[in-house]
Amino acid sequence: MQPLERLVNLVALLLETRTPLTFEQIRSKLSEAYGHEDVNSAKRMFERDKDILRDIGVPIEVRSVDVWEAEQGYTIPRDRYYLPEITFTPEEISALLVAARTGGDRSAEDAVRTLLSGAEGGIMSALAGSTGAIGGARDARLPAVGEAVASLRRIRFSYRTARGDTSERVVDAYGLVLRGGRWYVVGRDVARDEIRSFRLSRFASDVADEGDGSEPPDGFRAADHVQAGPWGPGEAKTAAVVAFSPEVAWLATKGVSAAEAIGTREDGWTLVRVPWQPGESLAGWVLSFGPDVEALEPPELRDEVVSRLEAALAAV
Amino acid sequence: MPRSDGARTAPRKASERLRRLLVVVPYLVRHPGTPVDEAMELFGVSEQELLDDLDLLFVSGLPPYGPGDLIDVDVQDGRIWIGMADYFSRPLRPMRAEALALYLQGTELAETPGLEEAPALSSALDKLAAALGPDALGGLPARVAATAGGEVEWLEDLRRATTERERLRIEYHALSTAETTEREIDPEEVFVALGNWYVAAWDHRSDAERLFRADRIRSVARTGERFEPRGLEGAGRPLYTRGDEDLDVRLRLSPDARWVAEYYETTAVSELDDGGLEIALPARRLEWLERLLLRLGADAQVVEPKELKDRVAELARRTRKRYV
Repeated sequence: MQPLERLVNLVALLLETRTPLTFEQIRSKLSEAYGHEDVNSAKRMFERDKDILRDIGVPIEVRSVDVWEAEQGYTIPRDRYYLPEITFTPEEISALLVAARTGGDRSAEDAVRTLLSGAEGGIMSALAGSTGAIGGARDARLPAVGEAVASLRRIRFSYRTARGDTSERVVDAYGLVLRGGRWYVVGRDVARDEIRSFRLSRFASDVADEGDGSEPPDGFRAADHVQAGPWGPGEAKTAAVVAFSPEVAWLATKGVSAAEAIGTREDGWTLVRVPWQPGESLAGWVLSFGPDVEALEPPELRDEVVSRLEAALAAV
Repeated sequence: MPRSDGARTAPRKASERLRRLLVVVPYLVRHPGTPVDEAMELFGVSEQELLDDLDLLFVSGLPPYGPGDLIDVDVQDGRIWIGMADYFSRPLRPMRAEALALYLQGTELAETPGLEEAPALSSALDKLAAALGPDALGGLPARVAATAGGEVEWLEDLRRATTERERLRIEYHALSTAETTEREIDPEEVFVALGNWYVAAWDHRSDAERLFRADRIRSVARTGERFEPRGLEGAGRPLYTRGDEDLDVRLRLSPDARWVAEYYETTAVSELDDGGLEIALPARRLEWLERLLLRLGADAQVVEPKELKDRVAELARRTRKRYV
């Protein structure tokens, strides 16, 4: 009997049974599969099959079948096995397909195939009607770190700092943050007993599971522990006004969310309002456009740009 | 004696086929008369694989495996019917690793600005998390935070042209030269990297493969011309590759400018006594470095080349003139 046939029959049997079945009962019902004369080799084959089923996500539960708890029985609980009904709109189905195909490996795509197999209608048209393919490849460590965060596990990995030093870290994973297109894991660095963030692209090894981690402290927010990038202004209450030359105005307003064109100057330069608050590094952003931008308001911003230019000229 | 490869790979292969069967069969049970080619496309299998799997179902079922207990499979005129398999009428849930991968990939994509499908994707992920519950995603949905960036205007045009293999005429602002130029491109792949959209294309202006960042494209015009894909490296290609003519630039950074070493590709980094860094980085063009140094001001010094130092000073003089 082919292994696959044996496995299909085993799944069917354990899904259909109303009471847990002992190995002896399984052996007599699936006599062609496990009916060897040697009970031990039959039992070994059954154990292997059970492992295969668990590996592909089939939930097999073990329960005592007598009051003395001497005999174990096996069953597949239907509510944990069957995909629940999820009603997706055709737009959601094509969005999932687009997302599944960006990862560079098949696992997300397999998840979508499974979801679609259980969804109602519109699947083939969604497959055909996708606007356009998106390629790409995710960080290979993301799934392992995601699993650690999902289950609050402790992980060990080798980490390279901005200085270029590499060291071994043991971290209780608490959260994941995506910022500036980069993934960070936030958690308690066990040796330092501090909450730290680690950029996945700086991992210098695979991620090893070290068992149960710990609960994050009350009020923990992963995003609070990842420093904002150096680019562009952040959230702000007040606004600054800058003028951009016609050559770069289109570009400048795109890079910054909440930047807003508010008019055109006589010389053709575009006036743009950007969120800003005192103490922020907006002057650096303004200077990165060189002579194609002029800071207008508030005066503090204008003064800072000028003083930085003076410093640059003095340094030469 | 070492075990033969066959002994080790055979079970794995069986597990992959089993996993597929437990998903394909429910679809076929629920959609009687599904065309063979539709099932092939939907599940990404060849006709032979599909028919082999169906063959096996003929002899599967429930004890005592009499004629009335076996799964009923009928393939006729290129269509498939499956009966007597009520216990396989719903698919097995997606594996935890698959569901996690989909959730994280989807989250990243939904938070990358400009994607038309983003709202639908977010709501689909919410439904997924609610329906699959902690078995599949653990506590993940509550523990992921993602933030969006700026706007992208041309994404849908780029994706359509990539799918339809249409040559485009674009105006593009290259940061390396700080210039906007017009060129014709044959776009082969659209992808996300570091939170930005890129298109990998054959650039007719330079007669070479180039990556274009979507938010630096000023305009896109359709040409109506089709192209044959050249099989470009696309997303697999690093965003920066060192060329023979690249200059070696050395900078001294103050502690406040340490982020530069993190943000750009460097070839050497060493600590300075004041808490700053000295870094070496390769550069093909100096224009982008001039602007970076202008922004850093007193937080960075050029060690070499001298040409860069002079050019920064010149740029600072020209910029200073705006404020008189």
